[in-house]
Amino acid sequence: MKKMLSNPALWRGVVSIAVFLILWEIGARSKQWMAPEFFAPFRELLGAIDLKKDYLPWIGAVPAPSVVLASWIAVLVDRSYWQSWYMSLFRVMAGFLAAMLIGIPFGLMLAVSRVTHGIGFPVFEVLRPIPPLAWVPASIIFWPTQETAIAFITFLGAFYTIVINVLGGARSIDVRYFQAARSMGSSRWDIFRRVILPGTLPSIVVGSAVGMGITWEVVVAAEMISGGGSQIGGTRGGGLGFFIWNSYVGGSYEQIVIGMISIGIAGFISSGLLRWGGRYVTPWLKAR
Amino acid sequence: MDAALGLGAADEAIAVLRETTPFGDASEALLARIAGIARRARYAAGARIYSADGAADDIFVVLSGRAEHVFKPEVGAREALRRVTRGGVFGWAGLLLGQTQRLATVIAIEPTEVLRIDTEALVGLLESEPLEGGHVMERFATMIQREFTLPALLAQVRRLSGPLTEEMSSLSLTLYRLSLWLRSPRPYLMLVGFALFLGFWYLAVEVWKLPRFREMPGLTTVVSEWLSPSPTYGLSLYIAEYYQHIAMSVWRVAQAFFLATVLGVPVGLLLGWSRTFKEYVFPVFETLRPIPILAWVPLAIVMFIATESAVVYLAFLASFFATALNTMLGVESIDESYVRAANCLGADRWQVFRHVIIPGALPFIFTGLQISIGVSWFSLVAAEMVSGQYGLGYVIWTSYVMVRYPTIVIGMVTLGIVGYVTSALVRIAGDYLMEWRVRELALAER
Amino acid sequence: MTRGHIVIDDVVKVYDPQGAAVMAVDHCSLEIEPGEICMIVGPSGCGKTTLLNAVAGFHEITSGRIIMDGEVLCSPEKPRSTPGPDRIVVFQNGALFPWKTNLDNVIFGPVMQGKLARKEALDKGRAMLADAGLSGVEHNYPGEVSSGMRRRVEIVRALMNDPKALLLDEPYRALDSLTKSVMHEALLEIYYKNKVTIFFITHDLEEAIFLGHRVAIMTTRPCKPKKILNVDIPHPRDYSALTSKRFRELIEETNDAVHEEAWKAFQAGEKEGR
Repeated sequence: MKKMLSNPALWRGVVSIAVFLILWEIGARSKQWMAPEFFAPFRELLGAIDLKKDYLPWIGAVPAPSVVLASWIAVLVDRSYWQSWYMSLFRVMAGFLAAMLIGIPFGLMLAVSRVTHGIGFPVFEVLRPIPPLAWVPASIIFWPTQETAIAFITFLGAFYTIVINVLGGARSIDVRYFQAARSMGSSRWDIFRRVILPGTLPSIVVGSAVGMGITWEVVVAAEMISGGGSQIGGTRGGGLGFFIWNSYVGGSYEQIVIGMISIGIAGFISSGLLRWGGRYVTPWLKAR
Repeated sequence: MDAALGLGAADEAIAVLRETTPFGDASEALLARIAGIARRARYAAGARIYSADGAADDIFVVLSGRAEHVFKPEVGAREALRRVTRGGVFGWAGLLLGQTQRLATVIAIEPTEVLRIDTEALVGLLESEPLEGGHVMERFATMIQREFTLPALLAQVRRLSGPLTEEMSSLSLTLYRLSLWLRSPRPYLMLVGFALFLGFWYLAVEVWKLPRFREMPGLTTVVSEWLSPSPTYGLSLYIAEYYQHIAMSVWRVAQAFFLATVLGVPVGLLLGWSRTFKEYVFPVFETLRPIPILAWVPLAIVMFIATESAVVYLAFLASFFATALNTMLGVESIDESYVRAANCLGADRWQVFRHVIIPGALPFIFTGLQISIGVSWFSLVAAEMVSGQYGLGYVIWTSYVMVRYPTIVIGMVTLGIVGYVTSALVRIAGDYLMEWRVRELALAER
Repeated sequence: MTRGHIVIDDVVKVYDPQGAAVMAVDHCSLEIEPGEICMIVGPSGCGKTTLLNAVAGFHEITSGRIIMDGEVLCSPEKPRSTPGPDRIVVFQNGALFPWKTNLDNVIFGPVMQGKLARKEALDKGRAMLADAGLSGVEHNYPGEVSSGMRRRVEIVRALMNDPKALLLDEPYRALDSLTKSVMHEALLEIYYKNKVTIFFITHDLEEAIFLGHRVAIMTTRPCKPKKILNVDIPHPRDYSALTSKRFRELIEETNDAVHEEAWKAFQAGEKEGR
């Protein structure tokens, strides 16, 4: 503990976050301290370059951290806030796991057989540049419920990353592992199970960190765009994305910031869970 | 014992030539001619096939058995010893510029049978077929580099001389490469893949009218709409507005990408290079980064009032984080030895930064830029769907709202194409700036 | 020849003194004559690279002094010497800049220090590469030539700066034995033309005896000289020395000492040091 406290890096980090919060606070309250006559010429200047005159550009419109904190304490006791947490986390983990369940076998199929690679990969590569969110309208038309539509988009987002990582992982398996296996008399199935599968796991694990980030983006966006009114949980159970959108529409800007920070924290948690799972599945990576 | 090939043996010769690297995809006609000038020879186990001081007259192709091929040390091969079996080719020293002597000693380990092909006769034959011949020589060069682990410099495989070769235009070369590609299974598999995908789409929506697929816009509807001079729903290749939307989206991405690169690369370089800077700045960076870009949308609208800036800001933010992070990782992954070597050689801190850090991090920076442009598109589309007034994301969303379904697909496909092109441009810029890496990767490829 | 006289005086190096306190170098004293090829032999992880890094200026020392040509490189008052072109390191895995051509690599030192204008540097660089038999590869990138050639280019890059000493950190470790023997002869050839002090670290006893004037056999970690051998095979040497009677005798004398330390290191489970 003492060692941690005397670590200069830690203090520098704390200082910079503190400075950040202070600057934010000052900027956000600029409407108040820019009001007096003293600042009139400055305000005119802002108006002349076509910006809002009453406060500092951009930062002036953001709610101050002190206000956000006060609001947050109030929200902590609201049940629907925690329901939003649950909804978003659930969608992210479910979508990601579904993407893995389908993406890993698909990727392995492409990696193992040149024929399937020749058939499947060009189509995959052509569809990949289309952002998952561009699929939202098509998804809503196609799937029966809102929930399944969102789930599909979430799945798509992570699916591309996972397949690419599986392919990359399979290609980089040292050719000597194959030679060793074959010289020890392994059948093709054995080689698949004991060389290819474990060989691709590290890149899947590493790649899933990126995939997780994309999944969150998609979930939040889908929640905001599709109105979030899910059958589960009623009108306020639409997830954190919906929470933010709703706060915006309702004019309570502090809650927007609360929502944003909450998602950041939730993201940490889900990545942590994934890394923990990854360590369980690839124990040999620790030794490196 | 040397013997010219009889009729049946010619087939066997062609078969083994097909298994070699240089002749592997040559035409039947060329292979038959090569078999025509080849002679067979047999060596007992332990017999020396040739030694390193002999004249480089014949090229050898192994039909059966095994031989050991050892380079003389002066040659500088990465691995001097190599074993050759059926399909292996050796004795090609005569193909190198100015090389008349053997480069290695070859001894048969088992009873070995070979084809001997006179080098000069082979060169003459290849010169008479400039396109194919040139290709075979290229494959010899590849084989020498990769299988015999000799550096590129020594692999100065002779260019075929002759008037036809000089006049060969790059067009005919491209056509020849194309014909080679067409002979491989790849383009047909690709067609099968697309046929399956498009066929399924067509059948599911328009023919079988499967339950969920019924409502979707069908393939023929979309294509006819896209290509129609007066489209029912207002957007096609012929309509000016279509291109306005594309231009709008591209312009926004360009702004965002430019800003993100101009800010992100220096920040990333500093984060990687200076520990103090990283200790101060990285915590704030890492606190803001996990917040999904799209969670910023409402706040961005509040901050920027004008939705145009808000949309560009969102695309910029995503891009910035990706670029800065990858640049930082690039700097951190530079092998310490390079920095130490530069210090030994008297470079000061700034010179190390300019001559070691920046070029060393460049590959990572470009990977980051490719990711960054993808991410930029991703955020842009979402932002446009929520609050734009032009642009492809806006098109997709409003088409949905106004029940113009085929236009949705047109928008999606356009997005895909434009996204791919911009990403490829970044990659090409990277390849141009980092010629050394392209060459290094080409040599290392399996 | 009076340049490149290195004195290592009672040097101690302890990593992480307040924490794990791992001693890498234990009161090591060694004197290297100007223009001498001094070979350091020891098992992996014994601390010999740490010693080289201390001389080069990459690591601090805990106590003791290192002096070159009368100038104090490092001491308890100044625990870390400044890296400089008077003692240039040739690295184990090679440190030619992959993004510069071989010629641009070679002229890096004089140009960075401002000692030569670019044009003169290019001329000198070309001449030195030609001298080492490397003319053909001037305009190639390091990634395109064999590792043996890369090593030689790196040595030329060092010599362009007229250093007092060359510090070689197991430079031929990654090469196959056939290429290695060619490299040894190439190194000696270069040495006979430019009499620099050579401080060479290896784990290969035969390499050490073939190349060196003196061979210092180090103990396993923490390292200090266990036995110093004078190799009295006359220079200039060529590969025939490898089979000479005197060579075999010298190996017999020292093999036990080396083997003993290697066995100790094996039992201690030493992993490869960096």
